[in-house]
Amino acid sequence: MLSRLRYILRETGDSFRRNATLTVASIITAAISLLGVGLTLLSQHAFDNLLARWEGGVEMIVFMNPTATPDQLQLVSDALTAQDQFIESYTYCDEKCSLEEADRIFAGEPGVRDLLTEDTILTQFKAVPTENTDVELLRQVSDAFSELPGVYDVSFAEDQISLITQLQSFFGFRLLLLSIFLLLAAILLIWNTIRTAIFARRREIEVMKLVGATDWFIRVPFMLEGLLHGIVGAGLASIGLWAWNSQWTTGVQNFPDNSGFSALVVVDGYDQTVMLIMLAIGALAGAIGSGIAASRFLDI
Amino acid sequence: MIRLENVTKSYSSEVVAVRDASFDVAKGEFVFLVGPSGSGKSTLLRMLNRQDRPERGAVWVAGRNIVDMPAGRVPHLRRNIGNIFQDYKLLLEKSVFENVAFAQEVIGRPTHVIKQQVPAVLDLVGLAGKEDRLPHQLSGGEQQRVSVARAFVNRPLILLADEPTGNLDPATGEGIMRLLDRINKTGTTVVMATHDQRIVNTMRKRVIQLDRGVIVRDQARGVYE
Repeated sequence: MLSRLRYILRETGDSFRRNATLTVASIITAAISLLGVGLTLLSQHAFDNLLARWEGGVEMIVFMNPTATPDQLQLVSDALTAQDQFIESYTYCDEKCSLEEADRIFAGEPGVRDLLTEDTILTQFKAVPTENTDVELLRQVSDAFSELPGVYDVSFAEDQISLITQLQSFFGFRLLLLSIFLLLAAILLIWNTIRTAIFARRREIEVMKLVGATDWFIRVPFMLEGLLHGIVGAGLASIGLWAWNSQWTTGVQNFPDNSGFSALVVVDGYDQTVMLIMLAIGALAGAIGSGIAASRFLDI
Repeated sequence: MIRLENVTKSYSSEVVAVRDASFDVAKGEFVFLVGPSGSGKSTLLRMLNRQDRPERGAVWVAGRNIVDMPAGRVPHLRRNIGNIFQDYKLLLEKSVFENVAFAQEVIGRPTHVIKQQVPAVLDLVGLAGKEDRLPHQLSGGEQQRVSVARAFVNRPLILLADEPTGNLDPATGEGIMRLLDRINKTGTTVVMATHDQRIVNTMRKRVIQLDRGVIVRDQARGVYE
């Protein structure tokens, strides 16, 4: 048993040394292919983050009559609290707050602004819908609120929500397709490179078969070699991914908040998950690909 | 030790490599398979170590019909058969010692046994002191001796040699034949394909002659005709 283990390790090490060019080619192929997969997964996650940020900014606004009583305000406030499955949070913007907002909105139209006073301004409840609330459901919620006493009108950014839903569906599906495509390409490229490396050693396999080696005895060093190719390639891809993500994050976070792109980053440790995924794919594709490729030459 | 019963092997509908061949080889016998190129000698040898399987007939080796032997048992069969080839089939990156030790490693021999048996067999084939050389640092005759050492190191019951002197000059070829004769005298059955008339006539062993896949002569202490 010990001598077999020693044999397997020695053969694997010797093969790395003897087939240095193909080994390097195999590792680089694995690294580039896996980096492609990793970057796609990161992009997908960063885009999800961006959409979540945009979505978080969408509000439903309940405008209250200037004549609304404290009881009516309390009623609306209680109703918003009760609808916690649709409403994530809300704030009340009183007369002073609403006038300050009017100052900004009507800065270019002083005539209109002058018409608004503490007695005529509509106060507002600004509610943020929960993440899973779709447009149709929000419309029903807003209709229900518009029936409450003291409520002047209810509005929400219907178009913006529709756009976000559309963007999520469009990009989510296409990035998923791209990830699957790159993953398959990575597996095929790794497998093909290893197959080429094994083709160069078919004579060795033939001799092993003729002196009575079992198929598994022949396969295991090749699989171990493929496993190492995959892991080293994935390790290099992880370094590349980390460097890219660090550079990207630093760059994008320097963008102004209102640019809309400052959330297009991955800062929640998802990059480490992607690195683990790449290591797993590299190891599996390397080991299984080598095993299959070696089998091609075992039929002697 | 070996029995072929009505063996037929074809590579296509037009090319019949061996047709209805039958013969027995006793333990410890030395047999020459002779005939021109393409007569079916190599195909017969390939069927004896299950590299090829016949369409019809039975191939018995050491008491077992190997035609329908499960694939998982074939490695165990081959551990009892040594193979020598015209082109040596040495592993070019391995030293002389490693090439011979390789045959023992793949069947799981412990290191201390390998360290003991490999030098002994290299001494037997006349390569003592050349253990660390690589194949390209050896002459053709020496490379074939490494091949013989690798085939014999596990003390097989049968040695199959396919034109082992085909790439060697006459004097070197004679040296290899002396070596095979010596191995045969230890009780190993030797089946050798050749079209080297001089060697066959000198050795005067059993001769099985093939012509276009058909056995046309089986003669004890025969000569090349």
